[in-house]
Amino acid sequence: MSFLSSTTLESAPSDVKRPILKVTALRKTHQTAADDLTVLMDVSLSLDAGDTLAIVGPSGSGKTTLLGLCAGLDDASAGSVELAGLALESLGQDARAALRNRLVGFVFQNFQLIPTLTAIENVLVPLELRGESGGQAEAKKLLTEVGLGDRLDHYPLQLSGGEQQRVALARAFIHRPKILFADEPTGNLDSGTSGPIVEMLFDLNREAGTALVLVTHDPALAAKARRVVTMSGGTIVSEEENGAL
Amino acid sequence: MEHSKHKVLPRSLWTALFHPWVWRMAWRDSRSQRLRLVVFSLAIVSGIAALTAIHSLKASVERGIAVEAKALLGSDLRVSSRKEIGANEIEKLAGMASQVSRETSFPSMMRFLPDGGARLMQVRGIAGGYPFYGKVETRPVDAWNKLRDGGGVLVEPAILDQFSAQIGDEVELGGIRLRILGLVDKPAPRGNRFSGFAPEVYVNLADIERSGLLTQNSMAGYQVHLKLSGGQASRVLKERVRDEFPDTRWRLETPEDRRENLGDALDNFQKFLGLIALTSLALGAIGVAGAVHAHVTRRIQTIGILRCLGCPGYMAFGIYLAQAMALGLLGAILGAGLGIVMQMGLLVALDDELPISVAPSPEWKIALQTTATGFAVCCGFALLPLMRIREISPAVTLRSGGSLKGGFLRSLPIYALLVGLLVMVAYGNDPNWRRALAMVGGLTVAFLALVAVARGLMEVSRRVLAPRWPYLIRQGVSNLHRPGNQTLLFLLSLGLGTFLLVTILSAGKLLNGRLNIQQSEESPNLYLIDVQPDQVAGVEAVLEAKELPVMESVPMVTMRVQSINGVEVGEATGVPRWVARREFRSTYRDSLNLTETLIAGELASERADPNGIVELSLEEKIAKDLKVGIGDEITMDVQGILIRTKVTSIRRVDWSRFNLNFFMVFPPGVLEDAPGVNVVTTRTPTPAASGELQRELAGQFANVTAIDLTLILETVRDLLAKISTVITILAGFTVLAGLPILIGTLLNGRDVRLKESVLLRTLGASAKQVRIILVIEYAALGLLSALSGILLAVVANGVLATFFFKASPWPDAGLLLAAFGTVTMIAVLGGLALSRGVCHHPPLEILRGGS
Repeated sequence: MSFLSSTTLESAPSDVKRPILKVTALRKTHQTAADDLTVLMDVSLSLDAGDTLAIVGPSGSGKTTLLGLCAGLDDASAGSVELAGLALESLGQDARAALRNRLVGFVFQNFQLIPTLTAIENVLVPLELRGESGGQAEAKKLLTEVGLGDRLDHYPLQLSGGEQQRVALARAFIHRPKILFADEPTGNLDSGTSGPIVEMLFDLNREAGTALVLVTHDPALAAKARRVVTMSGGTIVSEEENGAL
Repeated sequence: MEHSKHKVLPRSLWTALFHPWVWRMAWRDSRSQRLRLVVFSLAIVSGIAALTAIHSLKASVERGIAVEAKALLGSDLRVSSRKEIGANEIEKLAGMASQVSRETSFPSMMRFLPDGGARLMQVRGIAGGYPFYGKVETRPVDAWNKLRDGGGVLVEPAILDQFSAQIGDEVELGGIRLRILGLVDKPAPRGNRFSGFAPEVYVNLADIERSGLLTQNSMAGYQVHLKLSGGQASRVLKERVRDEFPDTRWRLETPEDRRENLGDALDNFQKFLGLIALTSLALGAIGVAGAVHAHVTRRIQTIGILRCLGCPGYMAFGIYLAQAMALGLLGAILGAGLGIVMQMGLLVALDDELPISVAPSPEWKIALQTTATGFAVCCGFALLPLMRIREISPAVTLRSGGSLKGGFLRSLPIYALLVGLLVMVAYGNDPNWRRALAMVGGLTVAFLALVAVARGLMEVSRRVLAPRWPYLIRQGVSNLHRPGNQTLLFLLSLGLGTFLLVTILSAGKLLNGRLNIQQSEESPNLYLIDVQPDQVAGVEAVLEAKELPVMESVPMVTMRVQSINGVEVGEATGVPRWVARREFRSTYRDSLNLTETLIAGELASERADPNGIVELSLEEKIAKDLKVGIGDEITMDVQGILIRTKVTSIRRVDWSRFNLNFFMVFPPGVLEDAPGVNVVTTRTPTPAASGELQRELAGQFANVTAIDLTLILETVRDLLAKISTVITILAGFTVLAGLPILIGTLLNGRDVRLKESVLLRTLGASAKQVRIILVIEYAALGLLSALSGILLAVVANGVLATFFFKASPWPDAGLLLAAFGTVTMIAVLGGLALSRGVCHHPPLEILRGGS
């Protein structure tokens, strides 16, 4: 798969050892009518640029909450998240949004395409939000590479789950992120469909040096990451490195 | 990379609104929702259409009323004098106007020939084209024109009946004989209500000058009627005449002065139009807020994705604000267009019913103003749900089921802005700050009350729910407080809509009721003047024998003002000169009559100190003219005897109702021995009955003079009936403006409940079970919205009736019941319609995320 073979990459492999993500003593508590519910408790981890990390664990262990906090999608109750050297808690919502637009890509379990936009329009949104124009050719190329060259003007409802996820991947790559967060990227897909998606994700990591954070239940997918952290009850209970990687 | 043509991204909401991407996204986002958005924009269209139509009609009606007011005066300026107005002066006056007409009126005996009776008549000799506005209606129709040729008279129908005379008979007036040319059904405007103490007879002025009557008559009044060419203001002419004839004691009257005399009927009409315009706009605005809320709720995921991909909050906000603005502008323009069509259509369709004597034409300036106002109000109300966009977290992309959040306190500046905006609109509708603030204050109170009711309902439904209840009932009741409930939105939109509609319909009803009173049997049409105290019982007996009511029987004593607070009236600062000359006719009684309202002090029911200062009640306008208030002293000259009085009360009088009213009312025990006469009023059903009564009274009480006001009353009644028709039509407009709120609320409910109901269906719920759950929820919401809205409307009706329209505060029970039944039924039917939609929808379509 030479998914990104023709793109010019901004990040060089020499960046590899610098931490792109640093999480320190992160805590998240939800206030309920009855009591306070702590879903994440003093979690710390670090990820170097170009590295890959899989977060695994049972449902309700805090994986998705951790991913959301790392990407600045939510506010932590305590602790700190540094993304590309910037402490997210010191940034306002709009500054975090700008940072995401500059550095972060997303792939969600439920695809999260904008239903009123066509496939190519969905892919172009990150560029348009940067104020960049003229990205149509690039978007078309990306969609062609994911096998949707003939579905450019289709709306999400007119695409299957696998096709929607491929559009989401093209959208995640179009602005060349430094880090990509993927929440159960194959959770809604069968094994036949999920294989190419996983391949594309790791191609990006290898070829563009994009760090990859994966939340998954799938041991096979987790095994592809260099590091695997296992969560349970809101804390990290183990961390392993896959020597093969 | 080829795609690196950077354009600086907007850094604020203001600049975002001018960025093409924001508008492009707004357009793209509307793709799957255009039909729905158009339906929502109907809320704006109908609201602004009603506003434009009402304001345009108001302008047209006001213009029409101005014309009617001219018709009530017959000219642009009436100059009246007790002394003959010289030829030079008339020539000078004529130079200021485009047309001039002269009139001389005086009381004189007229004898019916060959051997009929004679009676005192008020003779009106007219030369020239008077009246310039309005028309004198006669039988035969050309009799007025024949009068201009001379040699005849026109009389009132009752006089002909009284003397059993016929058209064509001769009468003798002074030294000349004239033929009765016809009857006057609608007279030429009079100098004032009591200009004559006798029935009128119209003569050509040249015949009067020929008769020699004037040389012997010192009671004559001289008038010059002036007509201006188009575009000139009669007020300006009045001032010019005052400046150029400073030494005269002329009385100058313009149509505006006469219009004021129409009493509070027009004032109430103005207030009602203001209320109805504000209401229709508020209804539209609530519809907009509900529609935008529903739209944004459906877009939570999209906004979350955009935020996730790096879209700043202000840009996401800008996308939906741009949509709301575009919808608002489109709706405002369409609404204004529809409003113009409605206004023109109504003017054409009701040509004979409306008091309009101008050709129906669009009021472009008003259409522009209302479009701008409507646009501003729509955008303002749309801000309420739009502000919550900034609260949507990008984390909604990770979990399903996000909802719109946002506290009341955060929206407080928007509420403040809206209140300010509505106050400005209310003031624009009815330029009275107190009323504008009161109206918007009432709306705010209703809003807060409904919020409290909604919160209460949620709390109660949470507390009362018991596990032993059947599942369907538990599910239906739980829907009232569960996350994603529509209790607050339903109560606010349907409750507020019900409140506004019922308020308008009640206000329209009570105003119409009041107009009916003004047109009704309460107004006398025959005044019997100069009834001596010892004749009162006899006159009343005659009325009783003829089965005619004695509507009023009051004593009347003439007097003059001698001094005010110790200063002789002629020298009192700021007091008009006419006060010193005026002979006031006053009465004494211990209570107010139906047409009076006490606005300061207390009416003395008796003289407190038999030897001390006398308590006096003044009518509010005369109190202003005399520059006095409560506690001031006025010395009255009652036919040579000075009486010291102190103002102890001030009354407001509704002069439009033709009851006997007085500027000054004394307590009993002061004027009983002063020389005076009584006035008795009654109401005669037909001119023939009036003539018969006058004939009998003339036989028994020769000194009693009858003044027949039937013709004047007809003119005023006609105007009031037209106003009443307009009120009924305009109240109907508001119902139209309320419809989109209902549609918006039900559509929003569809969004909330569709997926849940489809899930229940998928899990095996029968159509009947889904229907019961939805009907329980909608019935509870409908019942409470109707009840809250109606209770608030009852309070509002009481306040409006008491403080605005001066009418009975009791609402029409039939209207309330009908509103309660209709609103509840519509809510239940909405629930049923939704369940029908659920049962006919393929569940997979909903479960896959479509709708």
